[in-house]
Amino acid sequence: MRKLRAFCFRLLGLFRGRRADDDFAAELESHITLHTDAGIRAGLTAEEARRQALIHLGGVEQTQQAHRERRSLPWLDSLLQDTQYGLRTLRRSPGFTITAVSTLAVGIGACTAIFSLVNAVLIRSLPYGEPQRLVYLFTPNPRLPVPVEVMTPSYADFFDIKRQGHSFANMSAFEQATFHLAMDGSVERVSAARVDENFFETLESTPEIGRSIGADDNQPGHSRVAVISHALWHSIFADRADVLEHSLTLEGVRYRIVGVMPPEFAYPSSSDLPYGNASVKATHIWIPLALTPKQKAEREPGSDEVIARLRPGISVSKAQSEMSTIMVRLDQLHSGDFGRGWGAFVENFMDNAVGPVRPLMWLLLGAVLLVLLIACGNAASLLLARAANRMRELGMRVALGAGRGRIIRQLLTESLLIGVAAGVLGIGLAYVFLHILLDLDPGDIPRLNEASLDTRVLLFTVSVSLLTSVLAGILPALTVARVSLNGFLTSGGGGAVAGTHSRSQNALIVVEAALVVVLLAGAGLFIRSYLNVESVTTGFSPSTVTMNVGLDERYGTPQQQGAFFRNLIGKLGALPGIDAVGAVNYLPLSHSESLGFFWVDGFANQKDQMAEGRLVTPQYFRAMNIPLVAGRFFAEDDASSPARPTIINQQFAKEYFADRNPIGGRISTDEKDHSHWSTVIGVVTDVRHLTLEEAPQPQMYSPGYELGAAYIAVRTMRPPSAVASEIQRTLKSIDPNLARGDVHTMGDLMSEATARRRFQTTLLGVFAAIALLLALVGLYGLMTYSVSCRTRELGIRMALGAQRTDVTLLVLRKAGFLLGSGLVLGLACTWIATRTIKAFLFGVDAHDPATILSVCVLLAVCGFLAALIPARRAASIDPMQALRTE
Amino acid sequence: MGEKTDVWQGTLALMVLRTLETLGPLHGYGLARRIEQTSGDVLQLNYGTLYPALLRLEQEGFIRSRWGVSENNRKAKYYELTKAGQRQVKKAAAEWEQTTAILARFLTPAGEA
Repeated sequence: MRKLRAFCFRLLGLFRGRRADDDFAAELESHITLHTDAGIRAGLTAEEARRQALIHLGGVEQTQQAHRERRSLPWLDSLLQDTQYGLRTLRRSPGFTITAVSTLAVGIGACTAIFSLVNAVLIRSLPYGEPQRLVYLFTPNPRLPVPVEVMTPSYADFFDIKRQGHSFANMSAFEQATFHLAMDGSVERVSAARVDENFFETLESTPEIGRSIGADDNQPGHSRVAVISHALWHSIFADRADVLEHSLTLEGVRYRIVGVMPPEFAYPSSSDLPYGNASVKATHIWIPLALTPKQKAEREPGSDEVIARLRPGISVSKAQSEMSTIMVRLDQLHSGDFGRGWGAFVENFMDNAVGPVRPLMWLLLGAVLLVLLIACGNAASLLLARAANRMRELGMRVALGAGRGRIIRQLLTESLLIGVAAGVLGIGLAYVFLHILLDLDPGDIPRLNEASLDTRVLLFTVSVSLLTSVLAGILPALTVARVSLNGFLTSGGGGAVAGTHSRSQNALIVVEAALVVVLLAGAGLFIRSYLNVESVTTGFSPSTVTMNVGLDERYGTPQQQGAFFRNLIGKLGALPGIDAVGAVNYLPLSHSESLGFFWVDGFANQKDQMAEGRLVTPQYFRAMNIPLVAGRFFAEDDASSPARPTIINQQFAKEYFADRNPIGGRISTDEKDHSHWSTVIGVVTDVRHLTLEEAPQPQMYSPGYELGAAYIAVRTMRPPSAVASEIQRTLKSIDPNLARGDVHTMGDLMSEATARRRFQTTLLGVFAAIALLLALVGLYGLMTYSVSCRTRELGIRMALGAQRTDVTLLVLRKAGFLLGSGLVLGLACTWIATRTIKAFLFGVDAHDPATILSVCVLLAVCGFLAALIPARRAASIDPMQALRTE
Repeated sequence: MGEKTDVWQGTLALMVLRTLETLGPLHGYGLARRIEQTSGDVLQLNYGTLYPALLRLEQEGFIRSRWGVSENNRKAKYYELTKAGQRQVKKAAAEWEQTTAILARFLTPAGEA
C-alpha cells in the first residue's frame, strides 16, 4: 500500500523535474547555510566553515543525483528519453518513416482483418453450452450410394438409442420446415423447425423471454405453441414486451407464442446441418414436433435430424462404439423398402459445422502472415540501410561512452515506435479491409458475417505490432552493436559496416522473393481453378429466370396441384416476350436432390443402383435451354398419359445403354413391380446439379404437373427484373395467399455456386499482389541504396574505362542474382506448399508447369523493372563528381 | 551492496522517525546533527544520504514537509511526523526491538544460555 503510494509519487515526479530540482537546490543551500552558521559559531572562518559543510554533505551533485533518482523512476525516465529522441530522429527522416510505417501497416491491417474472420468463424464461442460435447447421430447404410451424413436415425431407432445409450446426457430429434406465415395482408415463407422437448435442453440454450418447448407441448392437442427468434420478435412485434400474449398464423393454424430466443440463436442454419435445407440462413420459429404413436414406431428413416450431448468425459469414439453396438441389434428390426444394413456414425458437431471451412481459414491466415513477413523484411531492410547511414552518429555515441545495451535499446525503441504507429494505422486499415471482405462474403461460411474488430482481435493486433517491430528491429540493432568501436574509428565512417549490412539485406531480399513466389504460385493455381470452374459446361442457360413456388395445405391432392401449375404455366406463357415456361421439382444448383432406385430392361441391374430423378413439365427443357441429343422432348400429352415416358441424360445413356440405342429402351422406377416399364423417348445433355465442380450423374426425367413445391423456369429475351415482377404479379392473381418466392436467374445461382471460390481466389490474388509490390519496393530500395553506397567505386570503374552499359549490367546482374536465388528457393518451397492446397484446386495440377512458368516470368519482368531505375542512375554517375565525394 | 543499503535505510528511517517523534518538526541539518549526537557521535553520517531517505518517507506518507524560518532567521525546510508516521514509529520500533532481542540471544556468551 505504502509502496504503491510512493510509486505514484515517483510517477508524478517524472513530470515536475525542473520545479522539484529548484526546490531541492534551495533546501540544500539552506542546509549548507545552517551548517556554515554552526561552523562560524564554533569559531571557524566563513570559508573553512562552508568547506567543512560541503565535505560533510558528501558533494552537492551526488546528493542531487541521488535525490533525483529517488524522486522519479530512472528506467522510465530513460525510456521516455529514448522515445523522445526516437520521435525526433524519425521526424527528421520522413521518407524513411513513412515507407517503414506504411509497409508494416498494410501487413498488420491485412493480418488483423483476416484474423477477425478466423476469430468469428473458428474461435468465438457458439451460442450453445459447451459445443464440443455436441454430436450428430447418423445411421449410414453402405448399400445406398449417398454420403454418410445423409441418412439420419428413424424415430423408432432414435427412441431405442435414447433408451439404451449411456454415452449421451441428452438427445433431441427435430425436423426442418418452411412455413407460410400470414402477416396483416401478406404471406412470407419462414424457416422453422419442429423440435421435441429436449431440443433446447440438449443445446443448453434458453429463451430471453418466456419459456422453451417442453414435454407437455409435445402431447397431441397441446402443440399449438411456438418459440420465435429475436429477429422475428423485432420485425413482426417491434420488440413489444407483451409478445407472449400474441400468436402466429402458420399454414392457416394459430400458434401461441411462448418464448423468444436471444439474438445469437438461429439453430439450425444451413451451415449447421450437413445435408439440411441449404437455403435456410437462420431458423426463426420452433414449434413442437408432437409425434403420433405411429410416427414414433416408424423404423424407416425420415427427414429428421438427431443431435445429442455427450456425457462429460465421454469421447466421440466411445459414443461411436456404443451406438454401433446398439445399431447391430436395431438393424434386425428393419424390414422396409431399403432393407437392412443400417450402421452408426457419431460426428462431432463442431467438426461438422466449422470443420469444412477450417482449412480455408488457416490457409488465408497463413497467406496473410507471409505478406506480413515480407512487410517485416522490408522494414528490417530499411532499418539496416538507415543504421548504416547513422554509423557516424552511433559510433560517436559509443565513443562518448554510451553502452552497447543502451544503443540496442535506442534502436529497438525506434523500431517499436514504428511498430506502434503501424499498428494504429493498421487497425484503421483493418476496419476498411474488413468492410471490403464482408462485401465479398460468399454466404456459405458459418458466422463469417459476424466478423468484427473485438477485444481479442485488437489484442492480436497489439501483439503482432510489437512482434513485428522487434523482429524488424532486432537484426539491425544487433548488426550495429557487433561493430567494434575500433573498426568505426579506423574506417572513418560507414564503410566498415556496409559489408555486414548488405549481406543481411541481400538475404532479406532473397527470402522475400521466395515468399512472393510461393504466394504467386498459390494465387495462380487458385485463379486457374476458378477459371476452370467458370468454364464448365453447365448444361443449361444462365439467362433463364426461375422462381420457387410452394403450395400449402389447401392443395392436398395431385389433381389440385396439377391444375394449379397448368394454370400458372399457361398464364406465364401468355405474357409478352416469353419463349418457354416449365417447372421442375429439383432445380439445378438449388441445393436439393432426389435419388431413386431404377431398373433398366436388358441390363445386368445391380442391387440398389440409383440415379437423380426429376419430375418436369413438358416445356422444361426448352425453358432451361437443355439441348436434345437424340429422340424427342416431352409432348403435352405425355404429361397426362397413363404410361409416362422417360427422358435420360447422356451420362445415363453411356452407363446403362452402352452399346445400344437408348431410344425405345425401357426403365422402371417401381420398387414393387420392376416390370412396370416406362419407355425412353429422348436423351438430353448432362446438367451439373448439386455443384458446378461435380461431374454430372445419371439423370432421368418424367413428365407431369403434379408438383407440391417446384421451381418455375422462364426463358425470355427481356430483362430478368422486368419479368420477375410480372411473374410475381401473375402468381398473386392466381392465389394471393401464396408466399412470394425469390426470383433468380440461373446465372445468379451459378454465381452463388462459385462465390466461395471467388472469395478465396480474390483474397489470395490480392495477397500475392501486395506481396509482390512490397518485395519490389524492397528490391528497388536495396538496389538504390547499394548504388548510392558504391558511388565512389562505380566512379573509379568508369574513370578506368568501364562503359555505362557495363555499370548498368553490373547493377542488374546483382539484382538478377538476388531474384534468381529467391526464385530457386521459392520454387523449392512452392513444391512443398502447393501440395497442401490440393483440395482447393479444380482441374489443375498442384505443380502445374504453366502456372509456375508464369510466376517466374512475372517475377523476372517486375524485378527487372524495379532494378532498372537504380541501374540507370548508376550509369549516369559523373566519374569526376563521384571521386570528389568524401 | 543493495542489501546493505536496505538495512541501512531501514535503520536510518527509524532513527529519523524516532527523532521527529521526540523533538517535533526539524529541518534536514538539524535532524542530521541530532542523529549524530544521539548516537554519541559514533555514527559518522554523510549528510547527503539523509535527503533521499527523507524523500522516501515523505512519498510513503510518514512525514510531511514545509518551508519555515529557523531560530536564527534562516529559511529552511521543516519535516514533521504525520499520523501514519506516528503509528509507523511504534510498529517499527517494536519490530526492531524484537529483532535485536533475538540477535542478542545468539550473541550472548554460550555459558549463560
